[in-house]
Amino acid sequence: MGKRAKILLVDDDADFVEATKVILESKPYEVVVASNGDEGLRKAREEKPDLILLDIIMPVKDGFTAAEQLKKDPQLSKIPTLMLTGFATKGTGTSIPVSRGFTLEAEDYIDKPVSPEELLARVEKHLKKAGFKG
Amino acid sequence: MMSANNRDNKFFAEEGGPEHHPEEAAIRMWLRVFITIRWITILGIISATLVATRIFNIEFPIISAYGVCAFVALCNLALIFQSRSLKRMRTGLLIHRARTYGTIHLLLDLLAFIVLLHFTGGIENPFVFYFVLHIIGASVILHYRVVYMLALSKIVAVMLLVGLEYAGAIPHVNLVGFADPALYKQGSYILAVLIVLATALFAAAYMATSISGELKKRQREVMQLSQRLLDRRTRELEQASKEITKLEEARNRFLRFLGVTVHDLKAPLTAIQSYFWVMLGGFAGALTEKQRGMLERSSQRIKELLTLVSDLLDIPRIETGQIIQEMKDVSLSRVIKASIGDLRDLAKQKKVRLKAEVPLGLPKIRGAGPRLQQVITNLIGNAINYTPEGTVTIRVSEGDKEMQVEVMDTGIGIPSEDLPLVFDDFFRASNVEMKGTGLGLSIAKRIVEAHEGRIWVESPCPETGKGSKFIFTLPKKVETKRR
Repeated sequence: MGKRAKILLVDDDADFVEATKVILESKPYEVVVASNGDEGLRKAREEKPDLILLDIIMPVKDGFTAAEQLKKDPQLSKIPTLMLTGFATKGTGTSIPVSRGFTLEAEDYIDKPVSPEELLARVEKHLKKAGFKG
Repeated sequence: MMSANNRDNKFFAEEGGPEHHPEEAAIRMWLRVFITIRWITILGIISATLVATRIFNIEFPIISAYGVCAFVALCNLALIFQSRSLKRMRTGLLIHRARTYGTIHLLLDLLAFIVLLHFTGGIENPFVFYFVLHIIGASVILHYRVVYMLALSKIVAVMLLVGLEYAGAIPHVNLVGFADPALYKQGSYILAVLIVLATALFAAAYMATSISGELKKRQREVMQLSQRLLDRRTRELEQASKEITKLEEARNRFLRFLGVTVHDLKAPLTAIQSYFWVMLGGFAGALTEKQRGMLERSSQRIKELLTLVSDLLDIPRIETGQIIQEMKDVSLSRVIKASIGDLRDLAKQKKVRLKAEVPLGLPKIRGAGPRLQQVITNLIGNAINYTPEGTVTIRVSEGDKEMQVEVMDTGIGIPSEDLPLVFDDFFRASNVEMKGTGLGLSIAKRIVEAHEGRIWVESPCPETGKGSKFIFTLPKKVETKRR
């Protein structure tokens, strides 16, 4: 088995982070966490993750702003960023919640709560797409 | 108050055509009549002169009579010009100016008439009584004092004319062949004519000014009354619009409150559901059968709650107009395909056949794709759930101005007494067991209406005679380049 994928999980809800971390760690993933957009950006620069899961509504700096800054940073812009959203419309899979989302170049949107199977499937898909080889 | 004034103008513009004010309209009309009567008078003088000289062989200086006619004609042309210049004036100024013009021209007429009278026999001429008509005409627009002054100046002018002729200060023209050449020297006759003329003039002035004064008073009363009604109506409208604003503010406050509350409810529910899934997925160690059963039921309850919370979150988002920001060009067939994809498993599980009749090459519409998908998924989902066996058909048709989407089923249908209520919040039909939040259709209605479409239901479905048929329309895109 090769290198473990590093995933940065940015969300201010400690319980959601805890549960999601457990799910992700069931696979050969290394999980780094941050609780707001500022911390997320810092960790992204320090840790160079292979994929970022980014919540939208957070204190200090929200997910939209953080994602915009990520995509502007040439060193980080290639990292697949999946937005976690509580806004989404039910029953429509990944839907884009608010007008701002249309201009944002995030790779995917994941509705919260997300089942373990779906979360793992999406993460795997985007890691593969980004050319990560485990 | 600005708006009230604008309303006034609009009101009168609508009522009185190009004229802005009834009194103003009356004056303009009077001026037109005055000008016309003058032309008729000129023609009258010319024909009377012709008749008198040619037929009755009465002799008097014709040239002078024609000269007076030319003078009056010039005055009339001037008046036409003046009355045209009135058009661009404010109402108050216009009335004042028109009265001034009226007075000036009546005095010019008086002058012309006296001169004409002098050359056509003076006291011998019975047309002297035509002065009465002149006074009646003046009474219509001029102030009654001015009318009396005019009557007085007429009688004075006539007295002066006949007096001077009588005294020999100016020559007298005898209407040869019509009147006795000595008549202008007959004191008693002159006195009688003057008295009759004076009384006729003042009586006419009195009657005409009283009648026209009364009319003007009535006109003003009607105006005031309509103004008062208008003011009251304006006040009522202002009051109503204030109340509407207040209600809208309250509604928006409530929607914000609902949005924030529900959002705050969603976060802990999400965390709880995530933990349940972690435990159920065995990520936190093995579970006993009993624990698994309880966790599954808890997870199911949380799921129901999350569905309700999602539905409740939709309402403020649609009603505060956020949905409009989400709109772009959408392919309806793609949206329908996505909805059917989501529901294929449910249909299979319920053994319901799903049929889609979507024409090829439908134009794109302006809409919020995920929202429209939500509507279609809801309608098809309901149709499947309430069809124990049979077919659910989704059909799209393109009209001139709108697209129509129909979802038909062969299921249990909706009791007729429930039909008007199915789009109400929290409504559940009486012939089904409690299921769902009761918000699905009311949200669908909100979404369709936010797209300026309509939604309605028919049960039983007219095509199959059973089940129900939900129909909604969406306006087709309007080309904005038209202008």
